[in-house]
Parts: sequence; structure tokens; C-alpha cells
Amino acid sequence: MRIVIAEDNVLLREGLILLLEEVGHEIVAVVGSGPEIVPTLLEHRPDVAVLDVRLPPGFRDEGLRAAIETRKLVPGQPLLVLSQYVEESYAAELLGLGASGIGYLLKDRVGHIEEFQDALERVAAGGTALDPEVVSQLMSRRDPLDALSPREREVLGLMAQGLDNPTIATTLFITERSVSKHIGSILAKLNLPPSDSGSRRVRAVLAYLNA
Amino acid sequence: MDLKARAHRSLRSARYLLGGLTTALPSLAGYVLLPILCFSLIVAPVLPWAVRPLRALADAERRRAERVLGRPVRRPYPTPEGNAYRRTLQLLRSPGTRKDMAWMLVHGIVGLVLPVLVLGVLLSLLLTISIPLWWWTLPGGTLTLLAAPLTTWMQAIVLSAVCAWLLAALFFWLAPATVRLETRIAEIMLGTWTGAGRRIEELTASRAGALQAHEAELRRIERDLHDGTQAQLVAVAMRLALADRRFDKDPQSSRKMVLDAKTTVDEALVQLRTVIRGIHPPILSDRGLNGAIRSLAAGRPIPTALDLPETDHRPPAAVEAAAYFVVAEALTNIARHSDASRAQVSLRYDGPTLCVTVRDDGCGGATPDSTSGSGLAGVRRRVAALDGTTRIDSPVGSGTTIEVVLPCGS
Repeated sequence: MRIVIAEDNVLLREGLILLLEEVGHEIVAVVGSGPEIVPTLLEHRPDVAVLDVRLPPGFRDEGLRAAIETRKLVPGQPLLVLSQYVEESYAAELLGLGASGIGYLLKDRVGHIEEFQDALERVAAGGTALDPEVVSQLMSRRDPLDALSPREREVLGLMAQGLDNPTIATTLFITERSVSKHIGSILAKLNLPPSDSGSRRVRAVLAYLNA
Repeated sequence: MDLKARAHRSLRSARYLLGGLTTALPSLAGYVLLPILCFSLIVAPVLPWAVRPLRALADAERRRAERVLGRPVRRPYPTPEGNAYRRTLQLLRSPGTRKDMAWMLVHGIVGLVLPVLVLGVLLSLLLTISIPLWWWTLPGGTLTLLAAPLTTWMQAIVLSAVCAWLLAALFFWLAPATVRLETRIAEIMLGTWTGAGRRIEELTASRAGALQAHEAELRRIERDLHDGTQAQLVAVAMRLALADRRFDKDPQSSRKMVLDAKTTVDEALVQLRTVIRGIHPPILSDRGLNGAIRSLAAGRPIPTALDLPETDHRPPAAVEAAAYFVVAEALTNIARHSDASRAQVSLRYDGPTLCVTVRDDGCGGATPDSTSGSGLAGVRRRVAALDGTTRIDSPVGSGTTIEVVLPCGS
């Protein structure tokens, strides 16, 4: 895949480049500040862009704002936002752009190459990758989740992260069939429309959690 | 202060005192109205109309005093509430009204006497200066200056000069002094000024300063941890992940990744130590303030004499940390900017306060300006946050003395 990176910290930038090249991606451009992001993405139209949230010049949420700006100019441009801390409200802002082709992960996840790679590919393919930390923050706010069994809550969490049925099945060591059954039961209990497609399902679940 | 500035100030003072007549004369008139005011305490409904001009007068004096004092003289009137009857009752009971009346009584006399006194001195001065112009028109010996009858030109000139000099000195002293008296009366009698009131204002300001300093500290620590340690650890995780991945295929490059990771861990440790020292210097926990200051002074390029009291008394941690910070900043400044050959650090426990003095014999000219990069602005903020005071005495060419007094609580 062709990838653009926005990261100001030299150590992390080098690490990301090494890592992404290692797994066979092509880094087409690297920028170190917020204002460079939009023009660079418009020029290169990468398969996915990996953006840091906190960037110069203001060291606030430049990366996030550039992401929102980009999606307005290029709807559907896959973006994976990385951050050293996760904020529910940032996740909500990003997902407000539509959950397809959006990822929001803690930088820590980059150390788990396969999972990171998986999330990157999912986002590039128009899916969603939401950090487990954000999902658990969101889930901890909802009391009615008591209606779900512990297993169903686990499945809901993985669903909200954007994982598809086969991945959920492997993660929980259960069959895909029982994943489907759990999901059917969860959607019924939460009064959500039955749906198989990844990002629409994620959006429904997140909308529910965020309500 | 040179003569011109002195004369200017005294004349300005005289003008202020003259302006005071605009409130003093109505105050005198108020003496007549006072019985009515007192009467109206019984005939309560009249009171609001009687108090209104009094407040207007007091307000006029407050505004005059504020211009000179450079700080507000707060109106001590509570906001009236309730129905007409309750408001009248509040007016009646308001200590502000009583204070205004008391001020009116004082100002009616003081506000008249002071300007007359000062004007009298000024007129005598002008008259004395002009003596050489007209003394000869009077019969010889009629005019007496300093117990000497004027008979010769020499006498007239010398004696009038001496008298003029004495009167000028009196005027220069008297005019500002009387203004101080008058504004002080206004501040005390018309303002909410009390020892406690002023203390509250100071505390409010220093509390706001403390919160601000605290917030800035937290933000700085967060930035240091976010950009430093945390980023370094993420980088280490990335490299170790890569090393793991390459371990079988390419052990050589895997090893390099591990070494890279180790270097980054070392850097992260250094960075973390710096952050921790910024929060609370560990040496303070280990060796107390004296030990920490000894270690600060050791190995300085400029010989630093220490005067540290041997005591088991330990001030609160925040005070110790601030004192340490003051000494560290001051010694850094001395090394960087002062060009000094000697420095001295002394600590003194004076009752419930800790006094820190850092002195050098360098080039002086240090300013607590935040743009000068001397860190003195930071010192001032940190000290003020603990309700302490900072005095910086740094005349160009004759060394710098920084004196910080920190209250240690009870």
C-alpha cells in the first residue's frame, strides 16, 4: 500500500517508516506538521494516511483537524489517526465523518505489528479500527449493557473496534457461527437493526454507545 | 530626586490639595446638614435623599484619591435588596453610611486646613524670594528676617536666600506629606480598607497566581512526559517488535534493532530523571535542603560560600522545593550571566519564615523580565505561589542580590 505519514517525533517517525516498510508498504511522503497534511494528501492520494494527533505548530490536535479537513475535501480518504492518549470525544469527531475508512489507535498498538497491520488494511479497505481503550471508555458509560452476557459484551467490544466476524472468532477462540449468533442476540437486545456489513454495523453500535 | 522633579511633585501635590477644596467645602456645608441627617434617622423616609449627596461627595473623593494612590478605593456599600422599607433600613444600618459621615466630619476640617497650610508656605516662599525687589521701599530695619533687621543689600539677598531655601525645603516635604495624609484618610475612611480586607485581596491574588503556576507546572510536566518518555517507550516497543519479527530471518539486523531499543531506553531514563527532578528534586528527600544546596554549590566554576543553619527543623516540602529552585536558578544565572568571581548562598529561619539569600559580585543588571531568559520571572512566580516575597537588587556593575522570604506555615 502507498502510505503518507504525519509524525513530528523523529524517533517515532523512523520507527513507523521501518515498521511499515518491513511489512511491505511504500511510504510516499512524510510530513512533520499539521498544515502540511492536507496538501500532501491531496497531492499523493495514498491508500491510507497515518496521522499523529498532536503536531506542530500548536502541539494540540492539529492532526485531528487535518483529518477532518481532508475528509471534507476527499470523502472516503482512509485515515488512521495515532495518538499517545485516547479521547472519546476525538473518536466521536473522527467517526462523525462516517466510520468507513477511519481508524483511531493508541500508538502503543504499533508495537504489535500483526494487529497494527490488520487495522491498517481494514481502514484502507474502508473498514473501521477503533482502539480497545476508546471502546472500553465508551462501554463503561452505558449501564443498560447489563442486559448482555459477559461473552456478548466481549463480542460487542470487538465489534465496536471494527473487527469482522472471522477475526472476532479467532480472537475469542469460538466459531464464526457462534459469533453470528452472539451478534444477532446483541443487536436484538440493544434494539439495533440486524446488519452484517462491517462499517455500518460499527456505526450503529458506536452511535448506540455514544448516545 | 533632583530639584526640578521635587518642585514638580510638590506643585502637583499643592494642586491636589486645592482640588480637595471641592469636597472639603461641601463637607463643611454638611456640618449644617448633619443634624438633618440625624433627624432623618427618625424620619426614615428622608434618609435615602439625604444619603445620596453624601455618597456622591464620598465618591468624588474616592476618585480623587484613586488617581493618586493608583489603586481602587472600594465602595463599602452593600447592594441594596428587598422592598423600600428594607432598603432604607439597610442604608441606615450600613457601616458605609456611618463611615461616610465620619469622613465628612474629618474632611470638612482637614481638607480645608491642609491646603491652607501648604498654600501659606508656598506664598511665604514666593514672598521671600521677591524680598530683594522691594525691601528698600520700606524704611530701613522695618523688615526682619531670621531675627535680623534688613539694612543692607547684602543682608537682604543672603537672608532672603537662606529663608527661601528653608521654606522651599519645608514646602517640598510638606506638600507630598499632606497629600499622603489626605489620600490615606480617604482610603481608610471611605474604602473597605482594613488589615483583613487587604490581606484577603493579597491572598486572592496570590492564590490565583498559585493556581496559574500550578497549571503551568502540570502542563510542562505533561509535555515532558508526552514528548519525551512516552514517545521513547513507544519507539522502543516498535523496535523490539521489529527485532522479534526479523529474529529468525535476519539476526544481524534484529540485533541492531535491540541495540537501538536499548539506546532509546537509556535516553528515556535520563529524560525521566530530568522530569522527576523538575517535580520534586529527589536529593531534597534524601538529604534535606542543606544537603541539596551543598550539592548544588559543589562543582560550580565560581567559588560559592554557604551559610546554612544547622537545624533539625524542616520546612514543608513545597517550601523546600521552592527554596531549592531559587538557589538552583540563581546559581545558574550567576554561572551564565554574571561574570562573578564569588558567590554566597545563605539560609535563615526567621520565626515562621525561611529567608534565602543568594549574592554575587558580578556585573549586576539582572531583571525579572520574562523575556530576558534569566529565569528570575519563574523564581518570582514560584515564590509568590507560596505567598512569599522576592527582592532582586542588581545595580549594573555591582553584583546581584536575590532575597526570597518564604512563609513556612505555622
